[in-house]
Amino acid sequence: MGNEFVGDKPRRYITQNSELITIFIMATVKINGKEITVEDGTLILDAARQAGFEIPTFCYQARLSRLGSCRMCLVEIAGQKKLQPSCVTPVLHGMEIFTQNETVKTARASMLEFLLANHPLDCPTCDKGGECELQDLTFKYGPRQSPFAERKRRFHEKDEILSPVIVKNHNRCIHCERCVRICDEAVGAKALGGIGRGAMLKETSFLNKELDCDHCGNCIEVCPVGSFMSLPYRYKSRPWDLVETDTVCPFCATGCQLTIGTRNGSVLRVRSKIETGINKETLCARGRFGYDFIQSEKRLTKPMAKKNGRLTECSWEEAISQAKNKLSSAKKIAGIASARLTNEELYLFQKLMRNVFRTNNIDSGSRWTDKRTTDALINACNLSEGGTSIFEALKADLIFIIGSSISDENPITDYLIRTTAADKRKNLILAYPRRIKLDSSATISLKHTPGSEDIVISGILNALQNQAVKTDGSQVSESDIATIAQRMKTASTISIFLGTDSLRFANGKEMLLGIANLAKALKASGKNIKVMPLLDRCNQRGAWDMGVHPSFLPGYKKTNSDGMDCTGILEASSKGEMDAIYIIGEDIVSMYPDAKFAKEALSKAGFIIVQDMFLTETAKMADIVLPGASYAEKEGTWTNQEGRLQRLRRALQPIKAAREDLSILSSIGGFEYKSARDVFEEIRKEAPGYQDISFDSLNNTGVLVKGHGAEKQGSRGQGVKGSSETKINPSNPRTLEPSNPYLDDYPFLLITGNHLFHSGRLSQKADVLKRLLPESFVEISDKDAAALGIKEGDRVIVKGKHHEAVLRVRVKQGSLKGTAFIPENFEDVPVNCFFKKGEGIPRVKISKQ
Amino acid sequence: MLSNKTIENIKKTIAKYPKKRSASMDALMIAQQECGYLTEEALREIASILDISTVQLNEIAAFYTMYNKKPVGKYHVQVCTNVSCSLLGAEHIVEVLSKKLGTKKGETTPDNKFTLSEVECLGSCGTAPMMQINDDYYENLTDAKIEEILKGLK
Repeated sequence: MGNEFVGDKPRRYITQNSELITIFIMATVKINGKEITVEDGTLILDAARQAGFEIPTFCYQARLSRLGSCRMCLVEIAGQKKLQPSCVTPVLHGMEIFTQNETVKTARASMLEFLLANHPLDCPTCDKGGECELQDLTFKYGPRQSPFAERKRRFHEKDEILSPVIVKNHNRCIHCERCVRICDEAVGAKALGGIGRGAMLKETSFLNKELDCDHCGNCIEVCPVGSFMSLPYRYKSRPWDLVETDTVCPFCATGCQLTIGTRNGSVLRVRSKIETGINKETLCARGRFGYDFIQSEKRLTKPMAKKNGRLTECSWEEAISQAKNKLSSAKKIAGIASARLTNEELYLFQKLMRNVFRTNNIDSGSRWTDKRTTDALINACNLSEGGTSIFEALKADLIFIIGSSISDENPITDYLIRTTAADKRKNLILAYPRRIKLDSSATISLKHTPGSEDIVISGILNALQNQAVKTDGSQVSESDIATIAQRMKTASTISIFLGTDSLRFANGKEMLLGIANLAKALKASGKNIKVMPLLDRCNQRGAWDMGVHPSFLPGYKKTNSDGMDCTGILEASSKGEMDAIYIIGEDIVSMYPDAKFAKEALSKAGFIIVQDMFLTETAKMADIVLPGASYAEKEGTWTNQEGRLQRLRRALQPIKAAREDLSILSSIGGFEYKSARDVFEEIRKEAPGYQDISFDSLNNTGVLVKGHGAEKQGSRGQGVKGSSETKINPSNPRTLEPSNPYLDDYPFLLITGNHLFHSGRLSQKADVLKRLLPESFVEISDKDAAALGIKEGDRVIVKGKHHEAVLRVRVKQGSLKGTAFIPENFEDVPVNCFFKKGEGIPRVKISKQ
Repeated sequence: MLSNKTIENIKKTIAKYPKKRSASMDALMIAQQECGYLTEEALREIASILDISTVQLNEIAAFYTMYNKKPVGKYHVQVCTNVSCSLLGAEHIVEVLSKKLGTKKGETTPDNKFTLSEVECLGSCGTAPMMQINDDYYENLTDAKIEEILKGLK
């Protein structure tokens, strides 16, 4: 029967008895009389869908493990007496399958009747009514009658509130377990389980208590019925009354697709769509629930100008003309723009500063490091060479992540890596001082001293080249380094994910050069290497692509003369040398890692224009404040960390008298662009990587930007090519000699970053997110807590050389000893006060209050 | 808090399996032998030892009727009400016991002597209807037999 098999790419396996067996890769089956050839092993469900036949499902979800429990997808296979669940049954060559004959139709109708036997018919008050899968499938395949007259199962009268954002109605549950699986397999929180048995099974939290989880709400999204609901959205609207707009999440550079639902001009919810965007229906707490800042009462709604030392409301004409005059008459000016602006705004910003006001003194947030470090990152990740799909990067045999609290900074990238790492043949190596969620999926977790990344990397490099490995000062064992090098040697494809800690730490440049060297060495040994950046601001990569940087133009073309970076601008300002500074969307006073210096420097600036959504600490110091727009109020594009260009779409008009940042920039520059599309057309000409992309054809998957063909950044001596700086000297211990945590004056190294529920200071304006984590905290390892006699929840004094704060303690099992973490997000605990410019990672001591 | 001995025993049993989480059922039973039932604290502690999430342990404990989620009396009367026993009158047996012990199913007598539970199949279908009191099986039950058994427990 050999010739019955089709397909010309046989797979060969050797059995235990050393026999060679050949499996043909293709299979031809007949579905409802229609012949179709699919890859062998394809599920009947997928084959039928490919052939154009619809099969209803509840428990099936492409990215989750197969359960086969809902029995909606039953099909008849010729020769088999019982119907088979098509979502777990693979095709076999020659199978004859029926998906819509009378037997199958009756079975489906009966399954629905069983589900409805216990499902309450409270559709008129159910949030899901109108977009409920049970409703839709019953309408389409249901029995149209119900002889069932018994009592329905009933768990409770009132919905159970499981978290500040998640509310559960157990009565409506149909036990598809999609919530449990997404929580376990994608999110990795493992916070939900099926408790009980049979019809009385409850898909809920530990002992049905309040959830202590990521509060991402993915359980709500995947729930086919109204069992899991969003608490902030509950009872707010009927789904059909919402106007939905597809756009992109503003909270990190993963670039998740999300859908904003508005009604009568108010934002009522954010949801994600199945298998849409790189996030494939998942979002994190800040993306899903952090939408209320858009219409916050604290938003700036009118321009303001300083009169008699006080900011007072004024007209747009007055504000614009004053800004224009001051910027034109100033001799020395500078501009700092947020990496949350759109490409079009950032492009226009640099055009305004360069062409109209004749300065290269422009920079974006980028963790406030110096331009050489930024260049090193751009170089190490080859940003000027175009985008790389994360899905391509995740196909690697070995994934190495360094310098990022990825589970907090880029939660959806964390999900994608977790799902990939479930394949046990892969090596996942994670290097970060704190214990984070992804550690549980890692094959090797390195816990190194913050700031010793360069030592770790040069150690790996030395081990790869069979040279002596020194890890002094990093608290990492040489055997771990040797193991990593060994795994790297055996892998043929390696993806390195590089976080923004490289931009936070004083020795970031050495670390980045090390990565570039490591990549180079691995490439030289014939391996396929990808270096992916993990960025915290949604359009950081776009900001660099658009030339918001003191030393290059859009498309990474060199400038004739380098301008000043953010630190340079502040230094000049502190000497009274800055006549005017134009700041868009950056709260420098709150975020620059030396609050005192930043504030003093700005106070000496001649004139400050701040364009922002909120009256930030920086805006309070401004002479003119211009109210800008949120992501939901804009058209434009963002380039995520992969280099994927995605469209933002306007869900509502800017609040009150606030304006889109693009139109403010146009007014100041006297430009005549009618829309973001017009600016994008110009970007296509200026940044070669964007040349082939059409603004209107950008759909939910976005488009990877191509290479800009520019000379590599830093090739003048700061970069990889033949520079003497590329040699790292690991024997220089700097400030990293292992300290005795309990004797030193300041035994802890203080690191910071985003908390999972927050992103910069923006999310502080989202009340729902504030409810998830109302106050800041300091996180220390369990070993330190035990040594200091501190328990979780205790109040402690964190004292640094320049600042002190009283905070609650969180104890993290498995974090590195001597490391303290305070999130950078809380207004009342400005962590940047602990920092002093030039001192690097601050040291603190922690004692009981 | 689980006693050191219990923790020791759990660790010993973990060594029998390729993965820690495989020891979940054993660990729950060991803890129950110490505490009488599975307290929230015990569940948290075991989950931490086994390196699994608390809810995943909760799933196992909740699925099996042999794990007690509430305190039980001196004698834990567990009546099988699965198919075979049910066909041979298990519901009647529960009713008789309920009347005799003066307690509803799932509850404990005020003197903490008896707890009456309905449980899933105990694998003794050939001798249905049956029940288990603490660790012993009582089979082919009749009203008279029940009376006799209970007399022996007073």
